[in-house]
Amino acid sequence: MSSTAPDVARQPLDRSQAKQLLVVLAELPADSVERQQLRDSLVRMHLPLVEHLARRFRNRGEPLDDLVQVATIGLIKSVDRFDPERGVEFSTYATPTIVGEIKRHFRDRGWAIRVPRRLQELKLSLSAAAGELSQRNGRSPTVKELAGYLELTEEEIIEGLESANAYSAVSLNAPEGGDDDSHSVVDTLGSEDESLEGVEYRESLKPLLEQLPPREKKILLLRFFGNMTQSQIAQEVGISQMHVSRLLARTLSQLREGLLVEE
Amino acid sequence: MDTEATTPRLTAGDDSPPRGDSGRTAGRDAVSIRLPAVSAYLSILRTAVAGLAARLDFTLDEIEDLRIAIDEACATLLVRAIPGTDLECEFVLTDQAMDITVTAVTIDGRVPEQHTFSWAVLTALAGHVEASSGDDGQVTIRLVKRRGVSS
Repeated sequence: MSSTAPDVARQPLDRSQAKQLLVVLAELPADSVERQQLRDSLVRMHLPLVEHLARRFRNRGEPLDDLVQVATIGLIKSVDRFDPERGVEFSTYATPTIVGEIKRHFRDRGWAIRVPRRLQELKLSLSAAAGELSQRNGRSPTVKELAGYLELTEEEIIEGLESANAYSAVSLNAPEGGDDDSHSVVDTLGSEDESLEGVEYRESLKPLLEQLPPREKKILLLRFFGNMTQSQIAQEVGISQMHVSRLLARTLSQLREGLLVEE
Repeated sequence: MDTEATTPRLTAGDDSPPRGDSGRTAGRDAVSIRLPAVSAYLSILRTAVAGLAARLDFTLDEIEDLRIAIDEACATLLVRAIPGTDLECEFVLTDQAMDITVTAVTIDGRVPEQHTFSWAVLTALAGHVEASSGDDGQVTIRLVKRRGVSS
């Protein structure tokens, strides 16, 4: 019965196949099970597009996971609204919708978090500027450079950094879906784990590390045992450097508490 | 909170007036902060280290590393600090480096061990770490972070 919804999710995107499926989708009645399944498959097929677009916004102070999530909403809308008879490529049609969702997310976040608007804007522009300057100079910027770039005083930059650290305390406590990361984490952790060999209370540390969300564990090991800078890790993981810093600080204090209990 | 020792005090050493672009004196500036050995005050040290590192033109990466490092160093000391005593923190700024020492009066005067996770973390963050003990249970952790050394 559900034979029209092949399991295409794990295959690389095949444009002509996608095109065909979209034509089939348009013909199926809105409430049919087959349509539902086909729709799901089409959404999964196009997730790489979603991730690609979300990544373009990753240095602006929002976790990539969140961006991928809202971008996926844009994709679903696109699948539902796409009209194959118009002869436009689906990706051409979907891209503005997906980007629109992401942009809307940035606007909405501004109101969702109760941080003075001025500080919040400062935080966002700081994060973006840090990403931009890092890319341009090939290294993390100084406060002076940030001040020059944003036409603010160094005092204001430091204030912005402080508030950036404080501001995410709440939202960071929310559970984070880290499933996407798990593959890449498994790939990279083997060697980092070896570098932990010299650490004495490895035995009490190990179970605590195991409990960390994959992304946090990865960030921690890359910084402290993988010899990478915060900016390099930010690029690797796809979040802002300021976010890396917050996660590091938070993870360390969690481990500290855990180790104290052990003692 | 009942003695004057619990009031945070900020003093800048080196009597010569500031000069030059960065407002630093030539050579070596020292800033010391004394505050209660209670974790609630650590945010002051985090802010201070960020502000001072910015004066030295450290990069954002380095500033954030220092912020986490001072937190880690103090947390290590505070676990064994005698309640009601002070934490003394001195920042020495030179052209190329920030040299930080934090000292607490601890219950056993035991110097942090070098093969611990915490030590590995401090080394990764600061570059150079050492610990020593003084009279009456005093323990000092010293962090030296050089500018422009990645990792």
